[in-house]
Amino acid sequence: MSIELSAIEYRYRDATALAGIDLAIESGELLALLGPSGCGKTTLLRTIAGLEFPDRGRVRFEGRDVTALSARKRHVGFVFQHYALFNHLTVFENVAFGLRVRGWFRRPRRAELERAVSELLELVQLGEFARRYPAQLSGGQRQRVALARALAVEPQILLLDEPFGALDARVRADLRRWLRGLHDRIHVTSVFVTHDQEEAFELADRIAVMNKGRIEQIADPETLYTHPANPFVCRFLGEVNELPAALHARWTGIDDERVVAFVRPHDLEFSAGEGGARVEQVRDLGANMRVEVRHPALAQPLVAVWERSRFARSGLAPGRSVAVSAQRQVLFRGDAPVDAAERAGNALRDILVTHG
Amino acid sequence: MSAPRLASNALRDPWWLRLPLLMLALAFVALFLVLPLLAVFGYAFEKGVDFYFASLVDEDARAAIRLTLLVTAIAVPANTLFGIAAAWLITRFSFPGRGLLLSLIDLPFAVSPVIAGLIYVLLFGAQGLFAPWLAAHDVKIIFAVPGIVLATIFVTFPFVARELIPLMQAQGSEQEQAAITLGAGGFAMFWRVVLPKIGWGLGYGVILCNARAIGEFGAVSVVSGHIRGLTNTMPLHVEILYNEYQRTAAFAVASLLALLALATLALKQLVGWRMRRATPADGTHA
Repeated sequence: MSIELSAIEYRYRDATALAGIDLAIESGELLALLGPSGCGKTTLLRTIAGLEFPDRGRVRFEGRDVTALSARKRHVGFVFQHYALFNHLTVFENVAFGLRVRGWFRRPRRAELERAVSELLELVQLGEFARRYPAQLSGGQRQRVALARALAVEPQILLLDEPFGALDARVRADLRRWLRGLHDRIHVTSVFVTHDQEEAFELADRIAVMNKGRIEQIADPETLYTHPANPFVCRFLGEVNELPAALHARWTGIDDERVVAFVRPHDLEFSAGEGGARVEQVRDLGANMRVEVRHPALAQPLVAVWERSRFARSGLAPGRSVAVSAQRQVLFRGDAPVDAAERAGNALRDILVTHG
Repeated sequence: MSAPRLASNALRDPWWLRLPLLMLALAFVALFLVLPLLAVFGYAFEKGVDFYFASLVDEDARAAIRLTLLVTAIAVPANTLFGIAAAWLITRFSFPGRGLLLSLIDLPFAVSPVIAGLIYVLLFGAQGLFAPWLAAHDVKIIFAVPGIVLATIFVTFPFVARELIPLMQAQGSEQEQAAITLGAGGFAMFWRVVLPKIGWGLGYGVILCNARAIGEFGAVSVVSGHIRGLTNTMPLHVEILYNEYQRTAAFAVASLLALLALATLALKQLVGWRMRRATPADGTHA
């Protein structure tokens, strides 16, 4: 079932939580709402679920306006950040809840209900835990119970609020892959909220990056990474070096147009030689080495993260003088990206500002 | 999870401080709680077991017991319903006047029960605000059972709400939201999710409310009119007997109240213990 949000505005007391959100989510898609805490992503998710009602704007499911419909009538599966399991009920009864509260005529028969719940518990690999209580389960297991409970009502839309937020790193990575696999099998339109860009990249078909109640960019992971719409998106997707640079226009010969080159740590190159920069610190991260280089024209040190072997070949050590260059960079003029066509016509003069 | 222990040695006071403090506390409890309780039973049986039971089956005594039970049977369910509704309203919604409602719930704790009784006399009494209407419709409230019920409801009004508000605040509303997204209507959500969650706390509040409803004296005394066999509750009956120098009979009825208090205490301990055991399971996801 597709979801269309148009011009959603939501004010919470004096703060604007959502400032005009337009978003179309295709049927069967897995979309991530990614952003820093307080950006409005959870409010947006709850608006889709009918747990919050927007001050302005419309929510449509498959073209049908559901803006005024309560959560109870939207038939949306919602997985809460802290699971919100019913602690006084067994795992089985938690999953069966949505079926038991159905109206008298639509309530499944006992045998049918037991079969449906057992199937779901198998699906989330918790068949043998049916008689346990939530307090007797681990975090990852509780999360899967919450998922099974949400799926029991056969929703056409599944919404997940920070689904892995409360889990430790190992369980989180496992569960992430498992959820992606599950989505590929059941193809329910899914939206999940996260502040972790790695999670969003691994799971989602498309990612909507949010900031201060707005969507900054919505794209597939590849596009987002290679063509961020603005510096915020670029910064939010991971550590990045910001280098002042100048564009040299081939046709006019003018080269004082200031731009900023955003370079990822693994795209930064240091070569031994006199370049004005000096290696300040080297940190061992395990699989990678983190190299910090100080350049006299920059307030912040430049950070490179290289694989061990690459670092070994480079022969770098603290105190060495190096020249800085970049394998790949994204250029921004103010808030707007400098597009590829423009760059083809011009040359990036030098990654670092040489004058001043 | 281990029970909280007091005994970090750094916080332990020396014996010469602990011992006198302990003695003082025990002496205090003995003097003000245990001794009076023993005295109640001592005086009650002063003229023997037969006289004790005779005092209890006396017609006026039986009427007083019946009235107390009737009043309690009305006031406790009424305040249970009100308490749940108020706690629900206050913890789940934000609305203008929420703070005011919260303070109003505490009002009966703040004002003297005698004032509470007087308010009803001023409203419903012979010279009261509603007197003409009441007289015209031949409804009697003051110096009759309805007045006693009203006064008791007023005085016992905060117990359930006060017990539930912090509990429901701590539990949050996520499970209720989950129930709604799963298609539960208001009644199903309340019955299947809210009630099991607040069950023990509710029981605790009801027990306290019940104890106070049975034992209330001041407010009831003002509105009752002390009509023997008609508007005397147990506490009022005790007073009347005592004023008539029927000391042993007075203490016999009082011992019944004391027994109820002891039973309440035991029940309260049990429920409190169950409640503490139930809470960690609720709080593990926090």
